[in-house]
Amino acid sequence: MANYGMAFDYKLCINCHACEVACKEENGIDLGAKNHRLWIQEDAAVSGDFWNLERDKVEFMQMQCQECQDAPCMAACPNGAIYRDENGIVRLHKDLCDLTRACMSACPYDARYVDEKNHITDKCIFCADTRLARGETTTACQITCPAKLRYFGDLDDPESEISKVLTSRKYFTLKPEHKTKPKLFYLE
Amino acid sequence: MNIIETSRRQFLQGSVSLCIYATSTLSSPWRTTKTSNKKTTNTPYLCNMCRNKCAGYARVENGIITKLNPNHHFPKSRNMLCQKGNAGIQAIYDEDRLKYPLIRIGNRGDGRYKRATWDEAYEYIKEKLVTIIDEQKDNRSTVAYCNGEGFNKDEYIKFFGSKLGSANFLDEGSICLNTKLGATQLTIGDVGEMDVAGSDYMIISGANRYESLITPDSVDMIHSKQKLVVLDPRCTVTATKADEYLPLYPGTDLAFCLSMIYIALKEELYDKKYVREYFDDFKKLKSHILHEKYTSKWAESKTHISAKKIEQITREFFAASNPLYYLGRRSVWSQNDFQLRRAMVLINALAGSINRKGGIIFGKPIKLDDEAINEPIYDNAQGRFDLDGIVYGSQKGGSWLNFRQKVLDKTAPYPIKAMFIRKHNIMQNMPNIAKTKKMLEMMDLVVVLDTMPSDTAMMADVILPECTYLEREDMVVSFNRLEPSLALRNQVIEPLYESKSMQDILKGLGKKLSVPLFNVSAKYDEDLQESIKEDGMHKAFVEGGYDMAELYHYTTTQRNKKLITKQFGKEVYNSLKEKGVWYPYMKEQKELFNDFYEYYPPEKRFYTVDKRYRVKASLSKLEKAGFDAMPTWHKRYDFNLHEDKFRVITGRYVTTTQSATANNVMLKDFHEENFLWINDNDAKRFGIEKGDSVVVMSSLSSIVIKANPTNKIAPNVLWIPHGFGIDSQEMTNAYAKGASDNMIIEDKFEKIYGCATMHETNVIIRKI
Repeated sequence: MANYGMAFDYKLCINCHACEVACKEENGIDLGAKNHRLWIQEDAAVSGDFWNLERDKVEFMQMQCQECQDAPCMAACPNGAIYRDENGIVRLHKDLCDLTRACMSACPYDARYVDEKNHITDKCIFCADTRLARGETTTACQITCPAKLRYFGDLDDPESEISKVLTSRKYFTLKPEHKTKPKLFYLE
Repeated sequence: MNIIETSRRQFLQGSVSLCIYATSTLSSPWRTTKTSNKKTTNTPYLCNMCRNKCAGYARVENGIITKLNPNHHFPKSRNMLCQKGNAGIQAIYDEDRLKYPLIRIGNRGDGRYKRATWDEAYEYIKEKLVTIIDEQKDNRSTVAYCNGEGFNKDEYIKFFGSKLGSANFLDEGSICLNTKLGATQLTIGDVGEMDVAGSDYMIISGANRYESLITPDSVDMIHSKQKLVVLDPRCTVTATKADEYLPLYPGTDLAFCLSMIYIALKEELYDKKYVREYFDDFKKLKSHILHEKYTSKWAESKTHISAKKIEQITREFFAASNPLYYLGRRSVWSQNDFQLRRAMVLINALAGSINRKGGIIFGKPIKLDDEAINEPIYDNAQGRFDLDGIVYGSQKGGSWLNFRQKVLDKTAPYPIKAMFIRKHNIMQNMPNIAKTKKMLEMMDLVVVLDTMPSDTAMMADVILPECTYLEREDMVVSFNRLEPSLALRNQVIEPLYESKSMQDILKGLGKKLSVPLFNVSAKYDEDLQESIKEDGMHKAFVEGGYDMAELYHYTTTQRNKKLITKQFGKEVYNSLKEKGVWYPYMKEQKELFNDFYEYYPPEKRFYTVDKRYRVKASLSKLEKAGFDAMPTWHKRYDFNLHEDKFRVITGRYVTTTQSATANNVMLKDFHEENFLWINDNDAKRFGIEKGDSVVVMSSLSSIVIKANPTNKIAPNVLWIPHGFGIDSQEMTNAYAKGASDNMIIEDKFEKIYGCATMHETNVIIRKI
C-alpha cells in the first residue's frame, strides 16, 4: 500500500531517450514511435538567425500519464474499466476495455495510446505489473536515467525522497486549469 | 530457420539478397518481451553498444534476456544505462545476425555465400594463407589485420601480431582520436584523463557530450554547477544546454585557442608559478604568439566570434579555480588538428590545470599483469609502411588512409595479400568507400569476424560469426585514473546459433594454422632452420613459440580467475564475478541522492600524483620535419567558401554508434534515416524545404539525402549524421536507409599522426 507519484528535475533532461527504450523493453511495449507510455516533448525555442540564436535552456519535458487524483479517463470510460489500484495508480481491467477510446479523448495530457497487440488503451502505470510487482522500488525509466532526474516514491511517506524533494523545492503540475490534481510534479 | 541451400541458390539467381543466414524478412519484426513479476537471476555484464563499457545487470528469464539495467557499483558509468545500452537486447536477438561460418560463392560484395562448418571455414583460410605466405617467402606482414574499438583488441594483436608475425595492424585511432592522444602525450608526457566533475569552468570545442555520451563526462556535466562554454558550427543539444554558446565556422577553433593564449600572455593571466616550474620553451611560445599577433580582433575575423566575447571567456577561464579546456574525443577534423589539440593542452597548462582537480589529471590507473606468451621471431617479416611520411603516427594502430593508399598505388614495399577484419566496418567507417572496396578486391583472402552482416562482411571470402557481448566472458579490464576500478564482462547467456567468442575462434584458427605456417617458415627462415637442426622439429616449434593457440589452452574464465586471484586475491575476483566491478572503496560507496552515488571519497581520488613531467611548448622534431613546432595559424585554414559551396561536417545522432547500431530495430524507431542539416537561409536560396531530397556532390561522388533546413547550423555548412546508407542487403532494417557520409568525404589526412581529416570536404548541392 503506497501512494505513488513522480517528480521531475526536468531541466536536467538531455533527451537521450534512455527512459523511452527502458520503458519499452521492461514493459514489452511494441516497437513503433506511436506506441509509447512515455515520451519527451521538445519545447525547443531556438529562434533567430544562426549567428544570433536565442536559446531557451529548457528544451525537454518528460511526458506520460500524470496519475491524476481526479482522473478524467476514469470518469469517461463507459465500461468502468479504469480503476485505481492499492498503490494509487490508475489501472485498467483489460478484459473490460473494448477500445471505445473515450479515455483517450478525455485525457488532457494525451497519455494513452492504442496497444494493438492487446487491444486496449495503454499508458504508464509506474511498472506496476513488472518491477513493482516483484518488489522493486524503482521504475525502469527512473533507474536508467543518466541525469537521475526522475524521483519516484510514496507521496504518503514523509521520509520518502520524493516527499522530501517536494517539501524542499518549488514545483508545478501540468495543465492545472483542468483541475485533475496530477501526482506528477515538475521541479523548478 | 529457413536455410536456402546452395543448390537452390542458382534457382533464385537474379535476386541479390540470397542470404542463407537471414531467416526470413517476412517474419514479424522482433518485439519486446515484457518482464515478468517474478524475481530471477541478474548477471553483471559490461555494455558494448558504444565505446564506454558501462556496467549493467542482465535480467534473464527462461534463458532469454528480457531487460538490461544499470549496475550501481561502477564508478565510471554512474548507475546509468543509456538508450543504446537498453537497446542491447535487440542487438542480441537481431534476426539478421551472422549465425554460421560462411564461405563466399559469388563475387565480393554480392552477398552470395554458402553455409560452412567451422572446420571447413578454418580449412579454407589455412589453404589460402599457406599459399600466400609461401608466395611471399614468409613475410608475415603480407597479412594485414584490423580491429575497431573494444575489448579483446590486445589479444587479437597478440595472435596476428606476435604469433602470426604481421607488423600491419590498423585500428580506429587514425579515423578517430589519435591527434588528441598524441598531442597530449607529446605536450605533457601522458594522455591523461579529463576531470570534468572537478572543473568549475569548462570550454568544449565541437565535442557533443550530450548527444555522444561519454561516461562519466556526460553524466558529470549534467550534475556539475560549472560554467559551460560550447563552440560549435552547429547548435547541438550540448550547445543548447551550455551557459554560453559561441557559434563559429568549422575548423577555426584553433584561431580561438591561439587568441586565448595571446590574451593570457599579453594580460599575464596565466599561472606564473606553474609556468616557471613546468614549462619548456615558454619564452619561445610567448614570442611566437605575440609576434603572430593572435589578437581577439584577429580571431574574430577567422571564427565569427566577437573579439569582446573571446576576451571575456579568456578572462573568465583564467580567473576560474579549476578551469578545463575539454580536449574532445573524435578529434580528426582538419589539417590543423594536432596543433589544435596541442593548443588546448597548452591553455590548460597555462592555467595550471594539469595534475590537479578539474584539469587534465594523470591519476593512478590500476595496472593489470600481462599474460606473457612466447613470441616467435620471423626473419623475413618486414616492418609496417603506413607511417612512412608521417611525423609521429601511432606505432600501434597506424594510419588507415596512408596504408590504403599505399596498397592501392602499390607503393608499399611488399604486397598486402590478406586481411583479417574484426569489429571494424571499414566499408563504412573511413572516407572514400570506393577506395576501401578496391583495396579489398585486391586481396587474395579477406576474413571478417563480426556479429552482423555489415558492408565489410559482404566483402569477405570467409565470415566467422562472433558472439555478442552478452554471450561471452571477456578478460578483466582496468578503467579510469581518478577513480580507478576493475570491471569484468561476465557471460549472461550461451552463444546463439553457431557463433563463438573471439577467443574460441582464435583457438580454432591457431590449432589449424600453427603447424602449416611453421612449415612455411621452416622453408625460408634461416634462424628457424638452424634451431630445427639443433633441437629437432618439435622442440623448435614449442620453444620458438609457434603454437598460435598458446593463450587459449585455458578458457577465458580460467584465465581471469588465475590472473585476478594471483594479482589481487580472491575477494576481488568474487566481487568481479558477483558485482561485475571492484574498486577499493566499494563498502564506503554512498548514495548522494535518487540512486546517484559517490564512489571514491573525495580525499581518496587521485587528483594530484607524484609524477615528473614537463610541458613542451615547442616540438623540435616537428620543426625538423618541416612542420610548425608550435600551434600556428595558416591562411589555408581560413573558412572561405563561395556562397554556393558548402563544407561537410559529420557526427551522429544520440541513438546511434556509427554504423554499429544501424540495424537495431529499437534505435531505428528514433531515426529511420539520416537528414542533412542545412542552414535555413541557404535552404531558402536553393528552394529546399524540409524533407526535400537533395543531391550532395563532392569531387568523389554524390549522395541523395533528405534535407532538414534549420537555423541551428552555420551558413555554408552541411551536417551529415554518420551510420546510415548501409549497402548490405542483409541488414534488413538498415539497407538503403538514408545516405553514407563517407561516400563523399574526401580521403585527406594530416601528416603528424596520419589521421583522416573528416571536415575538409567542400561540396555543391542540388534539389531534386
